[in-house]
Amino acid sequence: MSLDLLAFIVLGLITLIAGYLVVASANLMHAALFMGLSFVGVAGIYVVLGAEFLAAAQILIYVGAITTLIVFGIMLSNLQDLKAGERGVWARLVRNLVSFRRGVVPLVAAGGFAILMLAIYARTAWPAAAALPAESSLATVGRLLFSEYVVPFEIASVLLLVALLGAVALSRRDDRAQAQSGTPAGTMPAAGRKEGR
Amino acid sequence: MVPLPYVLGLAAMLFSLGLYGVLTQRNAVRILMSIELMLNSVNLNLVGFSRYLEPDRPSGQLFAIFVMTVAAAEVAVALAIILVIANRRDDIDIDKINLLKW
Repeated sequence: MSLDLLAFIVLGLITLIAGYLVVASANLMHAALFMGLSFVGVAGIYVVLGAEFLAAAQILIYVGAITTLIVFGIMLSNLQDLKAGERGVWARLVRNLVSFRRGVVPLVAAGGFAILMLAIYARTAWPAAAALPAESSLATVGRLLFSEYVVPFEIASVLLLVALLGAVALSRRDDRAQAQSGTPAGTMPAAGRKEGR
Repeated sequence: MVPLPYVLGLAAMLFSLGLYGVLTQRNAVRILMSIELMLNSVNLNLVGFSRYLEPDRPSGQLFAIFVMTVAAAEVAVALAIILVIANRRDDIDIDKINLLKW
């Protein structure tokens, strides 16, 4: 067994187990941290596949930004997981097996998809891997990004700006509008309750 | 060298884990995390195909970069919406969120 394959199998197992725990773990914060671990495993697989820049971007964006953002979101909103009594994916599975929407349909959809795709992959004749070119993929990616794909690149930056503004506008508390309309905070039952925190 | 079907099979399994999470969970944050898993598996597919079918011209890696950008924007906006909902009411059970305006 070559070293590449061994690294791939270990990283793939880490990714899959962490991904399973994202769905299955009872604690919301644990699920977020397992999601970060799963992203780290995917970054390692990118290294095995020869995409070093993408691995670095995966660590920076997914592990550094998105996981942190979700952890902050959980802490800021002080959320608890729903239905604390329903622990574990198996207990939920058995309990919901009678329910059509949460038992049978997701199981058939997810399991059927995985089985179908694996069967197709096993039967197809895939080309053998070609050797990597002498030039590192980072240089090629950079050149492509600023020549052929420059328009999507610029659009992506505008999209990020719009998302930033949208997130700020959505999460800003509208104190001034409330004061102008003259309604005391207590008359809005749901909104007023949180003000005391 | 890792055979291509291994990469694709790993991506398919990761995708179906995310799909199962999206379909069964009721907590909006957990659904968001499952969607991130699905996006990651799609990126794995793109990188795998670009490594094996076109190693000289890694277009798949560029697509994966754009997917990452859109995922980052999506998470920022979705978390802002979830925070607003969590401030207005006490839970984020997506079965109970049925109003456009409070």
